[in-house]
Amino acid sequence: MKLYEDLIAAIRALLPAAPDKSCGFDPALCAPPGDKNAILFRSDTAFELGGSGKASVNCTLFGAVPGARDALALYGKDLCELTQDTAFSHLTLVQLKDESEETLRYEKLQDIAFCQFQLYPKGYHIRISPAACKEQVRVANAALRQTPPLSFLNVGCSLISLLKTQPDVAAVKTVFITDPAIDHTALAALARKAKQITAAVQHTFEMNSLDCASCKMKPVCDEVDGLRALHFKKEEERKKHDT
Amino acid sequence: MQTTIFAFCGKGGVGKTSLSAAFIRLLKEQYPQKRILAVDADPAVGLSTALGIEPHLTLDDIRLRIAQSIDKGETADAVALLSEAKFHLLDCITERDNLSFFAIGRPEAAGCYCKVNAYLKQVLEMIAGNYDYVVIDGEAGIEQINRRVMERVDCLVLVSDPSQKGIRVISTIRNVAGRLAAYKKCGVIFNRTRDGFDPAPIENLPPVLAVIGDDPEQADRDMRGESVFSLSASSPLYRGAKQALDTLLQETSDETV
Repeated sequence: MKLYEDLIAAIRALLPAAPDKSCGFDPALCAPPGDKNAILFRSDTAFELGGSGKASVNCTLFGAVPGARDALALYGKDLCELTQDTAFSHLTLVQLKDESEETLRYEKLQDIAFCQFQLYPKGYHIRISPAACKEQVRVANAALRQTPPLSFLNVGCSLISLLKTQPDVAAVKTVFITDPAIDHTALAALARKAKQITAAVQHTFEMNSLDCASCKMKPVCDEVDGLRALHFKKEEERKKHDT
Repeated sequence: MQTTIFAFCGKGGVGKTSLSAAFIRLLKEQYPQKRILAVDADPAVGLSTALGIEPHLTLDDIRLRIAQSIDKGETADAVALLSEAKFHLLDCITERDNLSFFAIGRPEAAGCYCKVNAYLKQVLEMIAGNYDYVVIDGEAGIEQINRRVMERVDCLVLVSDPSQKGIRVISTIRNVAGRLAAYKKCGVIFNRTRDGFDPAPIENLPPVLAVIGDDPEQADRDMRGESVFSLSASSPLYRGAKQALDTLLQETSDETV
């Protein structure tokens, strides 16, 4: 989707050319599901991704997935290689089946982004702050001791499997980053921008005001190509429909 | 996991917090393999001190954060708000071995506690299943019972001193809780009684679990702000709490059999 293109390019520029691990989606590799209200206690936790005040980022973007093929990538160490709390970013790129502006709906984007809140892999306690674009994960000792140990591959496959239940999703690429050398702070800033774009899309669909000077979304529209055009186009359609 | 929830209710100043803390200590000692959740549901915020825990965040802090994020336009969708609440909730739970603790906190704004009580109810419904035992130190009076904050209490422990006021309050709580079918079993602990106190002539009392006299050791510890874990096993509070807990757990296991 055009709206997120610049952001996706900016994220790519922050990542090394090749990930440490990558693979395609295999539903057989999904992590076993846990209980949605289960708490992973500290005493049962090996480490927390994004814990101890380290950076943590959660971001969902909409755009073209390379080769339109479901895939996962990991930059940094996998779960079984980690021993302590570490900076963590989790980015998900979703390609919609129909990306035309005519069929774009805010609810569609939100339903897809909210899918991840229903992800409860056993031994992998995810908590996401949509307001702060953060994702922290407690990883259970037991999950790492099992054979084979839980890996990002399992978690990523579970997420992709969940996202593919959404009728509008064509392809998903989910990226886990535990490499502390990667600029997680810059990724966090880009995640907040992605959230602003999604919020601006909502604004486009909800607000009738065309007075850009008084609109709180003006800075976002100034920066993101196509947002303002989308807003005015939708408004025109609405007027036509009303008359 | 089968969860047993104890809730302590009664008039203010009768020793609910000390007894809740003593129950928590006893459960922790007797069942080191079990998970215990201690909930300070009293805005007076005393249970943390009684347990020697310094909470960094309270439930009301979380509620305020979420309310502020709504005000700032950061989040509005119900699904996102639930995720936001779950995100912060873990930060407000203090964990010590097999014991977890969180406090409802004291809302900064004047007025009622409805919002934070409603939030407490949701949180309890969400996380209680992770624990074998939940001990709730309730606020004085009947508000939390009335609002069904403690919807699925297994053991309602009414605490009273020997005063008529105290007895009237537990009688009201019991009636309201009974009408709302808010508990499975109910008992009363008389605390801070004087020599010769006999509850037998008091009408319509639930089963008396323990009668605890003045406890100078407990009073001294309170003055020094020491936790319940330093209380000697011979103190009247410890012995009374043990008697009450053993009775309730015995009844529970009898029912299970």
